[in-house]
Amino acid sequence: MPMTSRISDRLQQVIAAGLMAILLTACSDSNEGAAQQQFASPIDNSAEVQAYYAANPDFFGFTSLEDLPQGLVWEDGSHMSEMGSAEAKKGGTEYRALQDFPRTLRTIGPDSNGGFRGLLLDNTTLTLGHRHSEYFDFIPGLAEAWAVSEDGKTFYIKLDPKATYSDGVPITVDDFMFMYWMYRSPYVTAPWYNNYYSTMFTNITKYDDHTMSISIPAAKPNGEAQVLGLQPRPRHFFSEVGEDFVDRYQWRFAPTNGPYIIEEEDIKKGRSITLTRDPNWWAKDKKHWRYRFNADKIRFTVIRDTEKAFEAFRRGDLDQSSLNLAEYWYEKLPDDAPEVASGYIHKSVFYNQRPRPPYGLWINTARPLLDDLNVRLGISYASNWQLVIDKFFRGDYSRLSGRQDGFQEFTHPTIKAREFDIDKAQEYFAAAGFTERGADGVLVNSQGQRLSFTLSSGYQSMQDVLTILREEALKAGLEFRIEVLDSTASWKKVQEKQHDIHFSAFGAFLEMYPRYWEHYHSDNAYDQAFLEDGSVNPERQIKTQTNNLETFAIPEMDEMIERYRASGDRQEMIDLAHRMSEMHHEHASFVPGFYQGFFRVGHWRWLRYPENFNYKHAQSAGELFIHWVDEDLKRETLEARKSGKTFEPQIRVYDQWRED
Amino acid sequence: MLQLNPQTLKKLRRFREIKRGYYSFLILAGLLLVLAFGELLVNSRALIVSYDGELFFPTYTGFHPGTDFGLDYSYEVNYRDLQEKFNSQGGEDWVLMPLVPYNPYENNGHGGMFRPTAPSAENQHYLGTDTTSRDILARLFYGTRIALVFSLAFTVWVYLIGISVGCAMGYFGGLFDLFFQRIIEIWSNIPFLYMVIIVFSVIPSSLTVSSRIGILLAVMVLFSWTGMTYNMRTETYKEKARDYVAAARILGASDSRIIFRHILPNVLATLLTFMPFVVVSAIGSITALDFLGFGLPPPTPSLGELLKQGTANLRTAPWIVTAAFTTLVVILTLITFIGEAVREAFDPKKFTVYR
Repeated sequence: MPMTSRISDRLQQVIAAGLMAILLTACSDSNEGAAQQQFASPIDNSAEVQAYYAANPDFFGFTSLEDLPQGLVWEDGSHMSEMGSAEAKKGGTEYRALQDFPRTLRTIGPDSNGGFRGLLLDNTTLTLGHRHSEYFDFIPGLAEAWAVSEDGKTFYIKLDPKATYSDGVPITVDDFMFMYWMYRSPYVTAPWYNNYYSTMFTNITKYDDHTMSISIPAAKPNGEAQVLGLQPRPRHFFSEVGEDFVDRYQWRFAPTNGPYIIEEEDIKKGRSITLTRDPNWWAKDKKHWRYRFNADKIRFTVIRDTEKAFEAFRRGDLDQSSLNLAEYWYEKLPDDAPEVASGYIHKSVFYNQRPRPPYGLWINTARPLLDDLNVRLGISYASNWQLVIDKFFRGDYSRLSGRQDGFQEFTHPTIKAREFDIDKAQEYFAAAGFTERGADGVLVNSQGQRLSFTLSSGYQSMQDVLTILREEALKAGLEFRIEVLDSTASWKKVQEKQHDIHFSAFGAFLEMYPRYWEHYHSDNAYDQAFLEDGSVNPERQIKTQTNNLETFAIPEMDEMIERYRASGDRQEMIDLAHRMSEMHHEHASFVPGFYQGFFRVGHWRWLRYPENFNYKHAQSAGELFIHWVDEDLKRETLEARKSGKTFEPQIRVYDQWRED
Repeated sequence: MLQLNPQTLKKLRRFREIKRGYYSFLILAGLLLVLAFGELLVNSRALIVSYDGELFFPTYTGFHPGTDFGLDYSYEVNYRDLQEKFNSQGGEDWVLMPLVPYNPYENNGHGGMFRPTAPSAENQHYLGTDTTSRDILARLFYGTRIALVFSLAFTVWVYLIGISVGCAMGYFGGLFDLFFQRIIEIWSNIPFLYMVIIVFSVIPSSLTVSSRIGILLAVMVLFSWTGMTYNMRTETYKEKARDYVAAARILGASDSRIIFRHILPNVLATLLTFMPFVVVSAIGSITALDFLGFGLPPPTPSLGELLKQGTANLRTAPWIVTAAFTTLVVILTLITFIGEAVREAFDPKKFTVYR
């Protein structure tokens, strides 16, 4: 799931040529008209949906308001300060770039998990509730208020009666019921959805059009997140979902509950796509939402080359650009660059706090030699991440301490990554039998095996990091053979567990606690890892297509993971998480790399941000849409650039949430 | 087999008379010679170390751990530091470094950061450094060497396969010819770039860098030999029908004797004129593949990789792209000049106007 978006991005690049051909033909045949005609025969699935509800009476409940339990404590998150700035001006056009044109406007099914999905769904629409990016607690979205049952398994929800879709149709509980039907149906060709919505929920009950309850299988500390993250599907629009769903809905923009709609004439396939703000948006006066989503239009132009996009930004064709990489911040747009020195472009750094993507070396412990703890410890000590951070990232990034950084109490407080130490590395390599150096300086054991492993990665941009690690590891007598694949091929390789050591990261979501089962349970390492009596199954086979990239299989870990998954007690989970982190650290099958404790952007002075710039848990500058375009400032800046007038340069550091 | 008959001598004389091509050939030959002994010119290993009254020549030997020269580490000696140390000690010991004292892999980081630095004679980065502070001259030098060796090997293989298959097709003709022509038609329709990408994603990474380069060479040859067969086939057809072949046959010469002694020497002249252009296209494709990231495995120095870095840092480090681009242009121009001269020298008509 987490890497898929990157993969699909990459896939798009690889077959870009083929895609372009398809797009060109698609453009030529008078666009939508032909496509519409093809699906002239309308489908009506409402009978099928009703039959499905009737066939699953345990899951879909229908009752009346009298049955709503008494004494529920309703929450509405009203104690939290409002997101966004009252100063924000509505209006203007924001210009952004896309690396690839979205391959579909669907948000589910094949090709839908690309970069544009966030702009169609995740960042621009409302779910029942949202985590406040400062307090981590929930603020209302589509829900007006919510309550939880005593056993913690059932959530009662009152929908905001004002909520409508962009086509004016009110949002009701029926749309949530329909959502379950749709996400469970084979028509959408999305196995993850089929599985998640079938197994992670046990019941939805309608009390009236705006009141419902949703149940989950077990009480969990973050059960609230699971339920409040739900989003209805407009059943009046998806009434044609059937066998041909994937094609039928390929380029149809679904009515949204969010502020931005896409007009048909704004889809210029392969070139640009524009979001238009709905002036009658139902939540335009709602707290936490009214000062966000300020630009009238957001225009995305396809610019495939990153360097070209950056030049477009410097020209002023794009409003802002990420400057996360050191070479952009220091070299390509230094503080004394003319646009910055004359105050046209502002540079901002914002330190955030959130789960960190675990960039590091994932060691496949099922491979020969790498199954030796001493070798793995040696590799840990022979990996000079600090040098990469200090010299390549210019000391901006920080060393990751383990696999689960940024989960607050759930992150182990004292474990630190092993420091680069040639002597210690050589000690451990010697303990593993590697005592002599060959003619090229690489260690050899008594059987003549060289201490040499493939270090693979799917990140082309990180190739330099790997070459630095390689040069340093050679000092300890360890050879890394570098293999930089394209991301699809590399993902396939690790999913088939064909890697020795892989440099990668998984996406880290804003969650309360980390996941262990996917990465560290023996079920995901081998088929039948252990026999009944707990001993290692001699005939076990490596399990492919799982995220256990370290082939990590220890019975005690399994037992802890199962307790962790079943536990509803926060403190118990924290203790378990710490013990699991310790065990993982001792196993030395992951060499923690780096994390970026901030994000930084360059933005033209007409693109304004609130006083504190952003919120504690934000991942990137644009994701909360709290910025706004000031058209007056834009005119002033463009004129100033012509006449040579300058402004005070602005290089701002927002370190209120800085961690180290 | 190929004696220098008067005709060949005449051709060689003609070649020498075409000054542009001849001098290009001399320059390129000189360059190849220099590149062959490159380790003596561009290397982080010292040429000579005199330590404790003993002389060491580390260039072509196994590595020397720091402990060999009284240092406290067991990895390879940093000879530049050693030189400085000996100089500051002022004793008997001394180190003689090559002209460019860097290898193409090490991250030097002058000034504390791994970033591109402009050319400077002072720290001996005569063409500057790349984005991770590696010496560009060293990378360019060894990148060029690999590209040239690669393209020469490529040419040899393409010629070997192309000539044998084409010659056989032309000589035996009939069903054999028909069959192979169809195979070649199908084969040459397989998209080359996609095949390289696919093959490269499945070859095991446990192989050494040199064997991976070998596989890349094999894949490229596999998809390039077909072009050569067309010329070879028609030429052989033509020569086969000549009287001297018929005469040889009547005298009882075997097929192999006819092919090798009679037809090949007569056909080769025309094929030779293509050769420089095959080399040019091989350098072009290996550079393009590297530029796209599907060529030589990192961190192998390569022209394409430098070009890629250079275009990404056009504004901030123009010296990267300048160096790579100039090298590429110079080498391709030299070879093209040679090619033109060869073609002209081998042309039986002295005054031809190419249209």
